[in-house]
Amino acid sequence: MNGVQAAVPRARVRTAAAIRAPRLWWVASAAVLLLAITVQPFRDSDVWWHLAVGRLITTHGIPAQEPFSFLQAAHAWVGQQWLYEVLLYRLVNLGGDGLASLALGILAALAVAVAALSVPHARRIPGAWLAAAMVFSGLVMAEVVGVRGQVISVLGTALVLLVVARWRDGHTRAVWALPPLFLLWANLHAGFIAGFGVLAIALLLARPADRVSEARRTLLLAALLGGVATMVNPAGPSLYGYVAGTFFNPTLTSAITEWASPDFHNMWLRLFEAEAVVLVFLWVLSRGPDAYDVVLGGAAVVATLQAQRNVSLFAIIAVPQIARYGAEAWSLQVAPRLRSRHRDPANAALLGSIATMVIAVAVAVTVAPQLSAGSTASFDAARYPVAPADYIATHLARRRLYSIDTWGGYLAYRFPQHRVVFLYGETAVFGNADLQLYEDVHLLRSNWTHVLTSEAIHDAVVPLHSQEASGFHALRWRVDCYDSTSDAVVMSAPTDSTASEPALLSAPISSPRC
Amino acid sequence: MLSTRGGVRTRLDALSSPGGLFVSAVLAIATLPVTGVIRDPDFWWHLRAGQLILASKALIATDPFTYTVASHHWTMHEWLTEVLFAVMHQAGGLGLIVLVLSVLTWFGIVWILLRARLRRPNLFVLGIGVLLAVVAGYPIWGPRAQMITFAFSCLVLLLVERHLERGGRLIWLLVPLFMLWSNLHSGFIIGLGFIAVVVAAELIGGRLRFADGAPASRVRTLGVVLILSAAVAMINPNGPAILVYAFQTQGSAAQQSLILEWHSPDFHDWQVWAFELMLLSTVALIVANRRIRARDAALVVVTIALALQSVRHIALFVAAVTPIWIDQASMLVRRRRRPARPRRAVAPLAFRATTFVTVILLVAVVYVGGRLVPDMRTQENALAYAQQYPVCAARWLAAAPQPLRIFNQYGEGGYLAYRLSAQGDRVFIFGDAALMGDSMLRTYGDVEGVQPEWESVIEESGTDLVLFDTGTPLANILEASGWIKVYQDPMSVAFVPVSKYHALHLPAVPAAYTPGDPCQQQLASVTSNAGGTG
Repeated sequence: MNGVQAAVPRARVRTAAAIRAPRLWWVASAAVLLLAITVQPFRDSDVWWHLAVGRLITTHGIPAQEPFSFLQAAHAWVGQQWLYEVLLYRLVNLGGDGLASLALGILAALAVAVAALSVPHARRIPGAWLAAAMVFSGLVMAEVVGVRGQVISVLGTALVLLVVARWRDGHTRAVWALPPLFLLWANLHAGFIAGFGVLAIALLLARPADRVSEARRTLLLAALLGGVATMVNPAGPSLYGYVAGTFFNPTLTSAITEWASPDFHNMWLRLFEAEAVVLVFLWVLSRGPDAYDVVLGGAAVVATLQAQRNVSLFAIIAVPQIARYGAEAWSLQVAPRLRSRHRDPANAALLGSIATMVIAVAVAVTVAPQLSAGSTASFDAARYPVAPADYIATHLARRRLYSIDTWGGYLAYRFPQHRVVFLYGETAVFGNADLQLYEDVHLLRSNWTHVLTSEAIHDAVVPLHSQEASGFHALRWRVDCYDSTSDAVVMSAPTDSTASEPALLSAPISSPRC
Repeated sequence: MLSTRGGVRTRLDALSSPGGLFVSAVLAIATLPVTGVIRDPDFWWHLRAGQLILASKALIATDPFTYTVASHHWTMHEWLTEVLFAVMHQAGGLGLIVLVLSVLTWFGIVWILLRARLRRPNLFVLGIGVLLAVVAGYPIWGPRAQMITFAFSCLVLLLVERHLERGGRLIWLLVPLFMLWSNLHSGFIIGLGFIAVVVAAELIGGRLRFADGAPASRVRTLGVVLILSAAVAMINPNGPAILVYAFQTQGSAAQQSLILEWHSPDFHDWQVWAFELMLLSTVALIVANRRIRARDAALVVVTIALALQSVRHIALFVAAVTPIWIDQASMLVRRRRRPARPRRAVAPLAFRATTFVTVILLVAVVYVGGRLVPDMRTQENALAYAQQYPVCAARWLAAAPQPLRIFNQYGEGGYLAYRLSAQGDRVFIFGDAALMGDSMLRTYGDVEGVQPEWESVIEESGTDLVLFDTGTPLANILEASGWIKVYQDPMSVAFVPVSKYHALHLPAVPAAYTPGDPCQQQLASVTSNAGGTG
């Protein structure tokens, strides 16, 4: 009897370990594979003004007012992402754009891996399902990761999911990771609000394994402490006003693509749609989802329909659910019809480690060339007005510049002094009035010329194929130089002596190269 | 005789029950949002095309309205609708067209209800579902040719569902229906698509042993009906090419990006919130019940994908999903219902019948008096139309002594073609995007977006005059570029190049209109560079 009893616990331990080891191989392999997606060059234009602010903070501390633009910002500067900005600046200083790309790419892949590990322990989800869910979600969020502060919030949300999962498993003490997490998060990115959303749904609907009331009280206390911890940041409690001002600004949601509803003509948003449909199918085909998962998934879908930037939030939340309900649906609907095959655990571990190494080598070979100084410089030159900025530095120093908002951040990075920049991505600080000024010129509204006059703007750097370029041309602005790499023109208002019929504004352009 | 009277009494009893009253009231109320003045900008060139067909007693081979694509072959995929528009316009003006299209749309909603009733839902759930559908479709309702596709889609789905549930021969009505439909509107391809989706879902669902599958023999019959319907759809002036034509719009990147209706829904727009609610609640109900027919699941997935791609497809989502929503909601209600309590005594039938008739009459009076008649009586030169279309600008242009080539806004080309083409004026572009072609659409988009070569496009096309909406980038850049502003009202502004100003002999803008004239209300001071022409 004792021998039998002794044998059972050993078998259980062996079974759990036998499952955990290959499962970790699957997760690790998928995370490494995801690096091919998450390691990206500086595609998000906001990276530049974050770098500019990071540089400013390291030398002068957090600014009290907006530091780069000649517009009168409506609100005081909120140094809410100061820690991210300083770290980003340090990374670029240390290893160039490539190091920052690698670091943020690793964080994004880590976030997906953490989300995968937040499945309930008792369910014993096979590693293949975890890996499949990770890769699917990685593809869905590919367009909104890269070198951007939002990746911090993606990781933060994944960590909250993990804490909640462990809390549901009965490890109540895991919740005490929340206060330091939120303390750090609130100084890195305003997306910590999403973490509170997850906790609120968990408190209302998730059921821990035992001692329900006590566990809920503990989670509530930890969440409240986390809320208090978020106020330990340079802006203090006014951080929440900043967040609300961003979310509820109607000009922001209409003017900035990321804050707009998804355009389902884009293939990557079709992936989001596909993942949402798959998730619903798996809910239906499994033993039935619990209310916490359904409400969390549904809330993430609604958030994404409001602003496509939230697709990363949905993708992270979907990872453990697709893995869990996919495995359940498979075992209920498909596995009974298949003949089971015996698998040797030792072989599985060996194959897993070989597969991981092969994937790692393939990803390294793919990703490494993108991180070189030459490669990042080429990318930046094509996407941002690098050469025009060089021209401006030489010929138009200290002069106010109009540019499109996605280039404003780069110009703030290049020209941090003398307030020559018009507007860039920190829209909550600028306020609605300044956003309207920008839209007046950008959309060539009736009073667009008045804005140029009132703000004393006589020079601009804009895409050749933009409304603004045609508008300036109609005002007889001359083309100072043209950069074919970024398709940008530097244009200047005529002085009395230069006012003449300008050449047709078209490419190839006969103006000097920048 | 006794059984007939008994049948009538039973029906009246059901209709005048609280649930029946609610459903009837919802159906009556549904008449309100589906009626309105004509807001579809394409209506006008359809009407004009119909008039030309009647006059020449032949279809039009090439574009008659533009000076840019006059050589393009015109696939007249809606020729029968256009002829009917012209005939109705002759007989009863715009009012008759408004009435017919409104009634047709309402019938679509009735067919949705009848399809939902096949599964014997809870009556209150039925009423709520139909109400939700009417509100969800709000961005799309209105007298327009597209409502033909909406209504016929509802009818197709009703006949298909009825056949799969009960069998019978009514399904063969689809064959003549598609022959008619393919001559009325190219959306018939949607109807064929729905049948194909249902057949495929039933075949796959049968293999996977989904619950509540239809008998295999009925699915086979449906497959045969599908093939025959596709075959008779080719009986139209365009022949088999009509089947390919319908896909051209879906495959055209230019159309999908430039035309607002083909854009994805904007969930910041309150008009779309009911659709969002319907979409999310449908999913929530399916997850709660975890029981759905294969064909229902397929229709939900396909129409969600269509509606998220283009806001105009919300109508198809409503057509396909509403009965499924009602079925799922009824399922949930049945599962959650408490044990039956003793029924309260109901009012006498006579009282209920009187209440029923009173409510319906009340809604009918409100609808007819407050909505239908005013919309039918609204003439094309009324303020309601003048605020949507360049009515006043067109009236001014009609007085020009010579034909003009007008660079126009895409959505206004149809109205301008209707109003001015008879006197020889031509527009740059109008709403038949397939006729225009992707190249012309992109060229137009470049000018509307004032891309670098906008001015040369206008000049090289031989444009005499630009008529565009006030406050647009093109209008503002024309003003800054030295073009001469020759007309302005709160909606439209017109410019001519300096080189053509004197040669065109444009009429002076009226200083005043007769009292009550909608243009009087729209008159704005004109800041022309050189004053009126003589």
